[in-house]
Amino acid sequence: MKHLRHLVIVTLLLLTMGNAWAQDETAEAPFETPPGFASWDDVLQQAKGTTVNWYMWGGSDAINAFVDDFYGTVLQDEYGITLNRVPVADTVDAINLVLSEAEAGKTEGGSVDMIWINGENFFTLRQADLLYGPWAQTIPNSTLVDWESPAVAFDFGVPVEGYESPWSSAQLHFIYDSSRMSAEDLPHNYDELTAWIAAHPGRFTYIAPGPGGYMGTRFVKQVLYHVSGGDEQWNGEWNPTLYAEWSPKLWDYLNAWKPNLWRSGETYPANENELAQLFANGEVDFAMTQATAGAGPYIAAGLIPETSRAFTFEQYSIGDYNYVAIMKNAPNKAASLVLANLLLRPDRQAGHIRPETGFGLGYAIDINRVSDDDRAMLQKAFADLGDGAADPAALSAAFAPDMAPESQSIIEADWEANVLRK
Amino acid sequence: MVERHRGTPDIKSILRYLLLGIMGLAFTAPMIAFLLNAFARQWFFPQLLPQTWTLEAWERLLSGRSEFVQALGNSALIASVVTLVALILGLPAARVMGLYRFRGKRVIEFLLLLPAVVPPLAVSMGLTVNFLRWGLAGTWVGVALVHLVPVLPYVVLILSGTFASYDVSHEAQARSLGAKPLAVFRYITLPMIFPGVVVAGLFAFLISWSQYLLTLLVGGGRVMTLPILLFSSASGSNNTTIAVQALMFTAPTLLLLLFTSRVLSRNALTGLARL
Amino acid sequence: MSSESNPSRWHIAILLAPAVIVLLVLFGGGLIYSLLQSLGWQPLIGQTRLSLDAYTNLLFSPDYAEVFWSGLAFSLWVSGLSTVISAILAVAIALLIYQTARGIRLWTFLFQFNLPVPHLVAAVGMLFLLSQSGLISRGTVALGLTSTPADFPILVRDTAGLGIIIAYVWKETPFIGVIVLGVLRSMSDSYDPAARNLGANGWQRFRYILLPLITPSLLSSSLIVFAFTFGAYEIPALLGVRFPRGLPVTALRLFTDADLNARSEAMALSLLITLMTSLVIVVYLWLRGIAERLT
Repeated sequence: MKHLRHLVIVTLLLLTMGNAWAQDETAEAPFETPPGFASWDDVLQQAKGTTVNWYMWGGSDAINAFVDDFYGTVLQDEYGITLNRVPVADTVDAINLVLSEAEAGKTEGGSVDMIWINGENFFTLRQADLLYGPWAQTIPNSTLVDWESPAVAFDFGVPVEGYESPWSSAQLHFIYDSSRMSAEDLPHNYDELTAWIAAHPGRFTYIAPGPGGYMGTRFVKQVLYHVSGGDEQWNGEWNPTLYAEWSPKLWDYLNAWKPNLWRSGETYPANENELAQLFANGEVDFAMTQATAGAGPYIAAGLIPETSRAFTFEQYSIGDYNYVAIMKNAPNKAASLVLANLLLRPDRQAGHIRPETGFGLGYAIDINRVSDDDRAMLQKAFADLGDGAADPAALSAAFAPDMAPESQSIIEADWEANVLRK
Repeated sequence: MVERHRGTPDIKSILRYLLLGIMGLAFTAPMIAFLLNAFARQWFFPQLLPQTWTLEAWERLLSGRSEFVQALGNSALIASVVTLVALILGLPAARVMGLYRFRGKRVIEFLLLLPAVVPPLAVSMGLTVNFLRWGLAGTWVGVALVHLVPVLPYVVLILSGTFASYDVSHEAQARSLGAKPLAVFRYITLPMIFPGVVVAGLFAFLISWSQYLLTLLVGGGRVMTLPILLFSSASGSNNTTIAVQALMFTAPTLLLLLFTSRVLSRNALTGLARL
Repeated sequence: MSSESNPSRWHIAILLAPAVIVLLVLFGGGLIYSLLQSLGWQPLIGQTRLSLDAYTNLLFSPDYAEVFWSGLAFSLWVSGLSTVISAILAVAIALLIYQTARGIRLWTFLFQFNLPVPHLVAAVGMLFLLSQSGLISRGTVALGLTSTPADFPILVRDTAGLGIIIAYVWKETPFIGVIVLGVLRSMSDSYDPAARNLGANGWQRFRYILLPLITPSLLSSSLIVFAFTFGAYEIPALLGVRFPRGLPVTALRLFTDADLNARSEAMALSLLITLMTSLVIVVYLWLRGIAERLT
């Protein structure tokens, strides 16, 4: 089956790309049980009747409703756990809360149990030693995750070491409206995009890198890969010299677009939802998504026209896993562990990829590790993604990893100083 | 009185009513926009009216498990408690400020006015860390406490306006007839200041109801109120949800205003003019 | 005023105490802790020496200075213009209603309709109405005046703060206006008809009777509007852009930065905003003191 082959290709790519991160790869001998618990049964027992405070980005009602429904009801019915999903405008708000509590000396009974997290936010909390763990390889469904793969075991190059557990996978690519443009007119790399922008003034914009603008930062990194001629040199530790060499050219490249951007590049949409709204109202011709289901989730939520389709450039489409982490001062660690485990359950994974959920992100588990029945279910869900999704083969061909965590705040600050404020 | 010919509309009055009409439309337009959006699905430019109507946003929001219901409950609880406490604390202070002159009154006035007009930024940032330490952060009690900061000054301000035009001699008379202090308060004072109390209570409720920054910083995301919910929705893009939340957020205050509008027009303006 | 002699100082103190103490602890305490943190006192990071670094950083260092000064100019511009426009419109509408014969109740009701509408909702409403693909733009398309969103002027999320100003004007005009209207109604009943009988025309009545009557309340409510809009967060956060950015929005951004070191600057900025707002209040009280002594 074509789709299955592509899925395998993606997995292989994630595996091979991981060589770039190859450092001291002695996998830690996993603990048998999560720290502080006698057994998984003990976890289940202690979790019953408690609440889990899950802090996650709340900017999409569809995802909010999906999480409450898809996980909340199961947690309640099967485990007796109440899900308290706490929406935050940006993950960094949750990080800030945890840091503030630490500053106030609150080592127990904090506000936050679990955060939907990755990248530099994970790095911040790891550095501050505010995460509970290691637990990620002690939960039952962790056997379904390919922890050998560096793509999973390293988050922005930072070793996970069991302090967070994956939820789903994502890859940044684009959306266009097939009723407005035909597939032949689509740009397929950044130089073609530059030409397109010049030919269609005011019809393109990107998300502003910065808080809440995670996808904007990622987009700018993709342009940086293009400008510097490759992504492999950016793997591994943060290289300030390399950055100093290429960033001026990056800013020049982006500034050259400015006169022909939407609003002449004086302002940019703050997040992907604002961009989607501009796209839906016909102010610009491209939107962005990270969902494996492509344009599907937005369409299902009624946010963009049904003729929207996803597509990718030929190269430099950054993808990664996203995770959940448990706080050191979390009041409900048992419930959090149960939730993290539930996220990896094959039926839940097969469900979250569907566009109707509004979520549509990819799998975090390895389909080669599940039972035959589950494998069929996962394959079917993947095959049913519909027209809104981009071609999986193209996505896997264009895959590139993200950079070291230091890159996030540096690029965000420098973009603001060198592009926005110029 | 200048005589007007009945029946012949002159340009001036047409213009006048036209302007007034535009004024009325301008001030109600956003509400109309919300009403339309609240029932719309897939409403893109340049459609003047939604192509599909739906009740799904209402169903989702008003269903039992939704965080909207939770937020509504929290907002109502906090605002009610804040109103009550502010009235209890503020009434005696307002009486003093309205009735008497004393040394240092200017200073007290300044102290009482400042929290109402000073932006909540510095105060709430400073309180956040300490509230964390005292275990008040992330609780509705902590949030209610912090709401007192902008609310209490307004209550005192409005009520002191009421007391300024209050004739104390009635109390003296009642006391000379043998009435106990509590009875004096209940049968003389309270009825006379009641309109002012209603206005002050209304303001207290409104101010607490619409607090965002204070609740965000001290509540730490654990206390979900309507403004927090609306703000986070407004940063996403489902206009229908935003519209429903905005309507539900504003409706109670609009109703409250309608309910007390009689009283408002007589006393509140005096109180407001004294600001 | 009271017909009995002032009660004892003790009596006054007891009655004032609850309110004053609560405000001192919460408001004063919050401010003082903010001040300490802005002076560099952050025990968790191990800094207990006081210094003015946060303030000098804000004003002069390359990391913050541009954001601070552009933000200051922007906030002053937005608050100033909003206040002036609101005041003028408020007086105009109040006069209009005051002189109208028919439907006074209706017009007054419409005028104060948006008083209980929170600022947050006002901001969202402006987005719905005024964005380039918003309702009014769709209206102009229907009227044939425009054809694409780009044809419609940029009124919200613009770099000049126009959207913010419009939202503030929408919200504050009735606030000032209702006060002015109240003064007009309650005080001019005695003067205005008399002036008219003596032959004064509309402009003279306005200039010499009505304007002096409403000026104290107009000024005081305008000052309140200026102070409030200068320090408010919600509207600039929703309707503004990344650069230039209103000061309160920057302050919160710094406070919620994952780098805890930025906290000092966040507090410093908030305190500077507080200081400027307080100055306006002082001016207001001083003016009111003069007004009271003159009447």
